[in-house]
Amino acid sequence: MTVRGLPGADLCVHCGFCTQACPTYLTLDDENDSPRGRIVLMKALAKGGFSAEDESLMLSHLDNCLGCRACETACPSGVPYGELLEAVRADTLSQRPLQFVSRLILFVFARPALLRLAMLKVRLIRATGLSRLLARMPGRLGIACATLETTRRPSHGIERRLPRPAVARPAIGPDPAKPSPAAAREAEARAHVAVLTGCVMEGLLAPVNRATERVLSRNGYEVVSAPGQRCCGALHAHAGQEAAAQELARINIAAFEASRAEFIAVNSAGCGAAMKEYGRLLAGSPEWRERAMAMAARVRDVSELLADAGPEPAAAATDAAVAVDHPCHLLHAQRLSEPPARVLAAMQGLNARELPDAVDCCGSAGLFSLAQPGLSQRILAPKLENIRKCGASVVVTGNPGCMMHIGAGLLRSGSPAVTRHPVELLDDAYSARSAQ
Amino acid sequence: MDQLARALSGIVGPQHVITRAAELLVYENDGLPGYRLRPRFVVAPGNRAEAIAVVRALAAANAPFVARGAGTGLSAGSLADGIVMIGLHRMRQIYSIDPVGRTATVEPGVVNARLSKAAAPYGLHYAPDPSSQTACSIGGNVAENAGGPHCLKYGVTLNHVLHATVVLPDGELIELAAPRDDEIGYDLLGAFVGSEGCFGVAVDVTVRLTPNPARVCTMLADFPALDGAAKAVSAIIAAGIVPAALELVDAGTIAAVEASIYAAGYPTDVEACLLVEVDGPAAGLDDDTAAVQRICRENGARAVRTATDSSDRERLWQGRKKAFGAMGRVAPHLVVQDAVVPRTRLAPVLRRIGEIAERHRVRVCNVFHAGDGNLHPNIPCDGNDADEMARVHAACREIMEVCIGEGGTITGEHGVGLDKQPYMDMLFSPESLDAMCRLRDAFDPARRANPGKVVPVRYCREWNASPSARKAVGAAP
Repeated sequence: MTVRGLPGADLCVHCGFCTQACPTYLTLDDENDSPRGRIVLMKALAKGGFSAEDESLMLSHLDNCLGCRACETACPSGVPYGELLEAVRADTLSQRPLQFVSRLILFVFARPALLRLAMLKVRLIRATGLSRLLARMPGRLGIACATLETTRRPSHGIERRLPRPAVARPAIGPDPAKPSPAAAREAEARAHVAVLTGCVMEGLLAPVNRATERVLSRNGYEVVSAPGQRCCGALHAHAGQEAAAQELARINIAAFEASRAEFIAVNSAGCGAAMKEYGRLLAGSPEWRERAMAMAARVRDVSELLADAGPEPAAAATDAAVAVDHPCHLLHAQRLSEPPARVLAAMQGLNARELPDAVDCCGSAGLFSLAQPGLSQRILAPKLENIRKCGASVVVTGNPGCMMHIGAGLLRSGSPAVTRHPVELLDDAYSARSAQ
Repeated sequence: MDQLARALSGIVGPQHVITRAAELLVYENDGLPGYRLRPRFVVAPGNRAEAIAVVRALAAANAPFVARGAGTGLSAGSLADGIVMIGLHRMRQIYSIDPVGRTATVEPGVVNARLSKAAAPYGLHYAPDPSSQTACSIGGNVAENAGGPHCLKYGVTLNHVLHATVVLPDGELIELAAPRDDEIGYDLLGAFVGSEGCFGVAVDVTVRLTPNPARVCTMLADFPALDGAAKAVSAIIAAGIVPAALELVDAGTIAAVEASIYAAGYPTDVEACLLVEVDGPAAGLDDDTAAVQRICRENGARAVRTATDSSDRERLWQGRKKAFGAMGRVAPHLVVQDAVVPRTRLAPVLRRIGEIAERHRVRVCNVFHAGDGNLHPNIPCDGNDADEMARVHAACREIMEVCIGEGGTITGEHGVGLDKQPYMDMLFSPESLDAMCRLRDAFDPARRANPGKVVPVRYCREWNASPSARKAVGAAP
């Protein structure tokens, strides 16, 4: 086995400050499953000289890693942990065959026609209510059905709406039907934005994409289309399928260049983090490196664009108790905490508070929840307990993986609480005001 | 698998006994780079009963062992050279918090900062705050008698431990309590705290919790000259002020911190900064604050700024506390020193350290508890460069000689472990070292707990006289 040199690993001085930030260390109680332990293992693998049996044991600890990157925001030395993990996973892909379910998903997600067909089938299952029927079944099938159920929205028929405020709040700010002169001036100045429609988002959570487009328009952005865009490739990169991730990145770079948008808005924290790293992904390709870096510099989480624009305030459309959770790939990978808070603060009267231990990973982590359901559920358990304790009926989080994983956990534990993307709440607030 | 490991699996479960060489790699280090020793295997008990059973099984097998908490120590004190390592990191239960009596009883693996977090709803905290507090464990703190910035005013770990249940290396369970006024007898708990894992394993610890101060004022003073900062430290204490913390960060350290995620806004164009915190009841605090600012200016401070709110204060502190880890940005390895000098001698000692560094062509980054005179000259280096490492070690020895010559000592809070052993006979007479061995014998006559640490074995007279005892401490059979 050949693992490439790991220059960033030398930054680690073994201080151990990362250990308490690591969800798998706190769950598995073995330092081999901690960031500094995994860095020791990576360095040892790069050096070589282990038996095949030892190598697979060492790789199993790397497989246990969620890739949440909470260790990066704990590391004083700036070890690029996520980058090291992806590099080692790519170099060891042949030794460490992915599970069938992971390979199948990665195969389908890289192929638009197959992806559309797959999503159609899955929506069909949802529409028939079959997933609702099986959501409480034990095992992977039950988890998968519950996960699908969390993507159901009022427009799909059965889902209940969030409770409306008992007393209608007076509209705040100018009449939205007639933009104020200032807003009109700003609107002209504000940028053209293309939205990454994504794989799961467009396939199962299309209403979130529509909400994203509406709230961006409402805040003065002109939303343009970017035909030809694909899955961002984050899942492929995380799993070590570097070539597939690079291919998807090149297709997306071309598509978004053609759209002539100044910014690419992403409403999935994991995708945003991956696209902001396109420059690194394609650093080895002389013809793509510059284009990849230019593209990465234009990628924004939707909350960043909204925060730059204000965002325009509106009265909250629900008086439900809202708990705010932070997706790891927003907080740790993209280092964003202020913009998502500004989005929520725009909704006046919103009964929101931060979930206790909101910085901890929920255990979703892309394919991890499917590949390692047992460990994933153990990591989710304290999150569900915190939601139960704080009595929230809505959990907001800006990443589809977290929305579905936490939502499925809530559903299966009999909790009435549901998960929502922050832009869904903002969109509700804007549309409630328009309706008045 | 090792017979003994199999027997211990029966106590803690097979997944908590680590025997394969590839999985022992990460347990070869503590927080101090530069030392690597491979344990025979690691056993991690999950609760008190398991920990006691493990120590008893080791006693029955006459197997030496090392207890390890979070592995964040800085003296190579928890390294196990071919012997059993007891990992206490799974023992993270807080048994109870008594907000009225202001105490907490915890398992040894409880992380320092998590105890303070658990005490926060009662307006209390655990005062000793080593810089590694977000990761280090209470058990490790007790073993090393850990300090921290706020120990200047509030005292070190020893002053906050009230009781410990200890399993002695022979398996006997004893209760050690801090002496109260109405009790007579030796302070055995006082002997146990700071014994670096050589006296036994604490399976639960009761600590004092401290009320949060009514008001806190954190100041950052910028000194164009290092000398002025050192003089200001002594002048502040001489003026009768006892700051909650009084820390010095020099230019090399500031550069590393400011490049990190914990950038605190320290100025990068000065030779040193002092981080000064005063706390207590609101009355009188403004006077102390004004006095600190005046003294800093009198000693050449360019500016003294005060933290505007709690998040600003937190940021100033995070820069200081994560400085050690941030050194990884300067060089791949780091030699950490932990000497103490009389506070009044700080300025000349820092000057001498600067001269030593220059002469040996090494880079010394100072970041330390100035109020206690507890120096941490950190030397970033490349461990693979033999010539550089030789110069680093020569510089370290000279720094220690200077500190001892000024009436200081070789460790303030990191412990002796393996790292400081070469300096023990610079500081203590053979008689003193022998006395330490005898004290140890009262707890661990077979010397099976963390053998070979703290006192170099050549100073233990009976030890030298008895080859059978030496045999017992040997490597795995």
